[in-house]
Amino acid sequence: MTQVIDALAKACEVRPAEPEDAVQGVGAAYVAAPATVTEAGELMRAAAEHRLTVVPRGAGTKLHWGAPPERCDLIVETRRLGRLIEHTAGDLVVKAEAGLPLEKLQEAVSGTRQQLALDALVPGATVGGTLATATAGPRRLLYGSARDLLIGITVVRADGVVAHAGGKVVKNVAGYDLGKLFTGSRGTLGLITEAAFRLHPLPQASAYVSATVADAAAALELTRALRRSSLVPSAIEVDGPDPITVTVLLEGFAGGVPARAEAARDLIGGRITEEPPGWWGRLPDGEVLAEVRAAPSKLTAVFQEAPAHVRGSAGRGVWHVGLPAGDAEQALDRLRRHGSAVVLSAPDGTALDRWGPVPALALMRRVKDQFDPEHRLSPGRFAGGI
Amino acid sequence: MGDVSTAGLDGLAERLRVVAGAGNVITDPAELRTYECDGLTYHRATPGIVVLPDSAEQIAEIVRACTAEGVPYIARGSGTGLSGGALPRTDGVLIVTSRMRRILEIDIDDERAVVEPGVINLDVTKAVRSQGYYYAPDPSSQQICSIGGNVAENSGGAHCLKYGFTVNHVLACEVVTPDGEIVEISEAPGYDLLGAFVGSEGTLGITTKITVRLTRLPEKVETLLAAFDTIESAGEAVSAIISAGVVPAAIEMMDALSIEAAEAAVACDYPPGAGAVLVVELDGPTAEVDHQFAQVKELCDAAFEIRVAADDTERALIWRGRKSAFAAVGRISPDYIVQDGVIPRTALPEVLARIDELSGDSGVRVANVFHAGDGNLHPLVLFDDAVPGAAERAEMVSGQILDLCIEHGGSITGEHGVGVDKAKHMPRMFTEEDLDTMQMVRCAFDPAGLCNPGKVYPTPRLCGEVPGRRTGVHPLVESGKADLF
Amino acid sequence: MEDFRELLDDCVHCGFCLPTCPTYQLWGEEMDSPRGRIHLMSQHEQGEPLSGPMIEHFDRCLGCMACVTACPSGVKYDRLIEVTRAKVEDERPRGRTDRLLREAIFAFFPYPKRLRLLRGPLRAYQASKINMAPLLNRISPTLAAMERLAPPRASHVRLPERVAARGERRAVVGMLTGCVQREFFPGVNAATARVLAMEGCDVVISKDQGCCGALSLHSGRAAEARAFAKKTIETFADVDVVVVNAAGCGSAMKDYGDVLADEPEWAERAREFSVKTRDLTEYLAELGPRATRHPLEITVAYHDACHLAHAQGIRVQPRALLAGIPGLEIREIADPEICCGSAGVYNLLQPEAAGELGDRKAANVSATGADLLVAANPGCSLQIATALRRRGEEIAVAHTAEVLDASIRGIGKEQLSPRR
Ligand SMILES: Cc1cc2nc3c(=O)[nH]c(=O)nc-3n(C[C@H](O)[C@H](O)[C@H](O)COP(=O)(O)OP(=O)(O)OC[C@H]3O[C@@H](n4cnc5c(N)ncnc54)[C@H](O)[C@@H]3O)c2cc1C
Ligand SMILES: Cc1cc2nc3c(=O)[nH]c(=O)nc-3n(C[C@H](O)[C@H](O)[C@H](O)COP(=O)(O)OP(=O)(O)OC[C@H]3O[C@@H](n4cnc5c(N)ncnc54)[C@H](O)[C@@H]3O)c2cc1C
Ligand code: SF4
Ligand code: SF4
Repeated sequence: MTQVIDALAKACEVRPAEPEDAVQGVGAAYVAAPATVTEAGELMRAAAEHRLTVVPRGAGTKLHWGAPPERCDLIVETRRLGRLIEHTAGDLVVKAEAGLPLEKLQEAVSGTRQQLALDALVPGATVGGTLATATAGPRRLLYGSARDLLIGITVVRADGVVAHAGGKVVKNVAGYDLGKLFTGSRGTLGLITEAAFRLHPLPQASAYVSATVADAAAALELTRALRRSSLVPSAIEVDGPDPITVTVLLEGFAGGVPARAEAARDLIGGRITEEPPGWWGRLPDGEVLAEVRAAPSKLTAVFQEAPAHVRGSAGRGVWHVGLPAGDAEQALDRLRRHGSAVVLSAPDGTALDRWGPVPALALMRRVKDQFDPEHRLSPGRFAGGI
Repeated sequence: MGDVSTAGLDGLAERLRVVAGAGNVITDPAELRTYECDGLTYHRATPGIVVLPDSAEQIAEIVRACTAEGVPYIARGSGTGLSGGALPRTDGVLIVTSRMRRILEIDIDDERAVVEPGVINLDVTKAVRSQGYYYAPDPSSQQICSIGGNVAENSGGAHCLKYGFTVNHVLACEVVTPDGEIVEISEAPGYDLLGAFVGSEGTLGITTKITVRLTRLPEKVETLLAAFDTIESAGEAVSAIISAGVVPAAIEMMDALSIEAAEAAVACDYPPGAGAVLVVELDGPTAEVDHQFAQVKELCDAAFEIRVAADDTERALIWRGRKSAFAAVGRISPDYIVQDGVIPRTALPEVLARIDELSGDSGVRVANVFHAGDGNLHPLVLFDDAVPGAAERAEMVSGQILDLCIEHGGSITGEHGVGVDKAKHMPRMFTEEDLDTMQMVRCAFDPAGLCNPGKVYPTPRLCGEVPGRRTGVHPLVESGKADLF
Repeated sequence: MEDFRELLDDCVHCGFCLPTCPTYQLWGEEMDSPRGRIHLMSQHEQGEPLSGPMIEHFDRCLGCMACVTACPSGVKYDRLIEVTRAKVEDERPRGRTDRLLREAIFAFFPYPKRLRLLRGPLRAYQASKINMAPLLNRISPTLAAMERLAPPRASHVRLPERVAARGERRAVVGMLTGCVQREFFPGVNAATARVLAMEGCDVVISKDQGCCGALSLHSGRAAEARAFAKKTIETFADVDVVVVNAAGCGSAMKDYGDVLADEPEWAERAREFSVKTRDLTEYLAELGPRATRHPLEITVAYHDACHLAHAQGIRVQPRALLAGIPGLEIREIADPEICCGSAGVYNLLQPEAAGELGDRKAANVSATGADLLVAANPGCSLQIATALRRRGEEIAVAHTAEVLDASIRGIGKEQLSPRR
């Protein structure tokens, strides 16, 4: 024990884990916090030498989400990897360390009226955590999600090797895009230490148009009308069922937004506001929380199969649903007939098929075997028990 | 290319005839040679066998047959690649998708289309335009390049500044993996294998069906042609536009030499005497476009002439000059190298000046055509192969331009891919560890190293070995399945 | 003549020509694309002997020149294929049937008098000196189609040697009457002469004129083509402008400069001749309209004949002339750049491919829902009308000249109604 902690301490700051460091009830042994990429590499090498299982932790806002890891010897905290490395405003590019909270990054770039066009669904989330969970909010409709905005990444592999992919230019096809592979990998392929993103100008103005409808079919009609229009909304969200609201976000030039908002209201009715509705960009309530992806026209089906709570991007066809624990298994089965449904969080001890059918799972296992042949990184948290 | 004995492939050819039909397997030497290169004619190799399959099942069988015999195979779409990605192997099979060109499904309601890999990029737009949609990625070669090739290269185009690249518009791919399995990959659930596959240059498998996102046609489009005295002032205008927070659909730049070529080819009638022209296109809701258009005109005040396209015909004419520029350079120079480097946009004026110096010092003419909005340079290095030493000098200048890109924190390729041509440059941009890590993905998909070997990476990684350590001659090199560069 | 190697080297292998090539559309093979054919030519130029497959790929080329239009690099595919066809004819004896078929075609088509004998398949059979039995099957459908489209023989018009301008004379022009045109579509020639006259031209129609050599030139029969060219140049020596209404003929005549470039005593004359050759619509557009157009309430699908659109770059003028007719509505045919498969004698030599291309074109024409199909080439009209008939559809066909004539004379669209 002391031998291990000494070895880890050679790499960076490390302490024995406390009970509250447990990840979903799985107790950890050590918590280490590297302050540089080099330290992170050394730490991971030391962990490899001692065959420690590793779970990365960002802000820990929702570390309890997902399946519990099989084992968790070492928690690698990214809080000390919190620097903003560079922001070249003229290039609309920012590069930051993984532990930097997203809000800090936004604050830093907003000075030049720029933004990373990613909605933080959970306050406090870090750059690394956001990438590792592939989170995105309403504006994914216009800007895409984390994978679409990421242009370069630095990771530390399970064996401690530091590797880069991409770069810091917005256009680049040299080599495989490891950034996309790591986006959404939930700490199972390696530790993300740095990321570079393309930025967008902050819009001068924004307006929300919200309409309440009688049923899901009516909501689908409205979202369809919005998609078919040439209004270029930044987001088309739906929330329901009590009541079902369709809200569209329009952003842009101050002189143009009001007219576009009026046009949107002509299409869907309802009212125009400067501020979003209270539920905007937040995850819905529910004992079991799942992410559902299906074609946008499946909106009615999603409401039918998950009657308790649906919220998400009607434009892209990515919804979060809240399900009562008792009914979750069946609801998930039904939802999976229309698309994919992945459980994000569930009460401790709930037995659930969290992933459902995952096509190409065999390939995913082989990817995992290559990056983490000993299965020491967040074991068991991912699809198919990866 | 000498006559390479492909005797060992006779049995395989027989097998492929059974799989794909006799009329779809090519073994005649003269016919085979027509497939010896893609759009980059500098690298040539006559394929051992060419097969033109009709379905994913056939491709899966072909891949299994190749794997069983340890024969490398390479996919090819329309053969317009500019990095030798589809360069065949004399001891291998070239799998050409040009007969798989059906648009399988158009779903306007859900804004997507499902196509076979040989479908031509522009044909997707043609099929949906009347319904108010289009397929956004628009490489200059869009009238002929295939969607399968686009996926492999993660192709971009003039409009990717605003709309992103192929990867941002592909929702799912059906892929024949090197095991000969047919699998569907997408962004989620699970690992984003789709994100890794797009842009993998045909080295991770062969895509047989692609679901693409369709984009709503914009309400308004404005296209402006601004003519500047010097390329530097045009470069400064680009930086000013980007910094001002305007995101045009496209900002393209051409210098005097490339304008000359385009004039010769398509009589695009750009303002005479221009040292450089910018083509700026804005699209979107009318109010947005009008506002930004006014801004852009102001930011281009150094231009001596600004033309605005009055209608689609005039817009097409402005674009014709730009889109034909590569091939048009054939009119002003017998031979040329199309370079494809990327730099941060703010470095544009400086790098352009340095390229000018390089050209001046070496006496090698360089024409510049590029996607200025995202810093993607396409210097065309001109030479005459008949002049002794000219090709070497051009190659040198072309390499120095890449050095400039790397020096400025850029990339050796923005859209044409690494292919066989730039594999040797990869170590200048990435460390050995980086390349090793990327090739872990390769090992996961294609441990035998038979799927388009020798592309992208200068040295193949031995799959299954302990990461990071490697000794002796690589078995793939030894067996002749891969080359060292 | 330009160095063949240099012509080949102009190709940068970009592939932009592939999508407009009808044979690439049909088969999707590199060897049956312009880029692939150029590659094959290059192989041959580098010493590779002409093999059976190579020749097959050259033979399958329609010579539609869509690739010339599409090429940003300025590759002169027209010259390349002409030279290559001549090499094929010189270097490689063809199989017996193939040879006989070609002989038969070239024994008849370029000679109006012989063509006349051919009217009616039975007569054709009797008239032929060679045994055509196996070949007749191929040729006769075409002849039969021509018969169907052509007006009854009784309506044969004999054109005078000179037609005088109406009103003040604006120009004196020579007029080529063509072979197929003269025999099967004399009405087109009559209409052409009338339109020119009504627009103020004296039209000189030499009786001695023969074939312009287009078919021979486009099939690699170089010597024959040169002889026809010289004869034609002499025939029109006295006029400043030669107006042609058949696209294939016009494109050949504009090529005389290249065809005779190697013959010092002819080179200059040939070049001058090419310069003074005009397609009818090209000439009328230059001249500008003077005669009054009367309304024709009709929808028209205008088909770009390859030898007009691709070989001569004439697309705008015919559309503008048609659009100048009050009441006439032009409908664009989808994929206008793709050949209909007629391509001179192609439909005789490559019937399957020609048939398929015809079907595709027919589908696009049919989709326009137009009343009338207008083309500048009788071969195209024949081909498309035949393909439409296979679909169980009928469409009236007319040459641009006939439509203009009908409008200027105010005789109404009934004159353009479907023929038997
Ligand atoms: C399994 C799971 C799924 C989630 N899905 C969604 C969703 O779909 N939508 C949504 O809005 N929010 C989702 N969240 C919430 C999400 O965690 C937060 O929005 C935020 O992105 C997490 O940031 P954090 O810094 O708090 O990370 P943490 O909560 O500390 O960690 C989150 C996950 O990322 C890994 N991780 C953290 N940092 C790194 C790193 N540097 N390198 C490698 N791996 C790292 C952790 O091991 C853990 O698996 C999900 C969370 C989890 C755990
Ligand atoms: C004049 C010209 C202009 C160009 N302009 C642009 C531009 O603006 N932007 C741009 O990005 N590119 C451009 N290109 C490059 C080229 O057109 C693109 O890379 C295009 O995507 C290649 O498509 P293709 O069908 O010709 O593919 P090919 O050249 O046949 O193949 C390219 C690569 O894709 C692989 N591949 C092909 N099909 C499949 C499949 N089904 N599954 C897996 N792998 C496959 C091949 O193995 C090869 O590695 C241009 C090329 C030319 C000649
Ligand atoms: S002339 Fe027509 S058929 Fe021949 S190669 Fe060119 S496009 Fe193809
Ligand atoms: S378009 Fe021209 S240059 Fe390009 S391949 Fe075809 S012939 Fe060659």
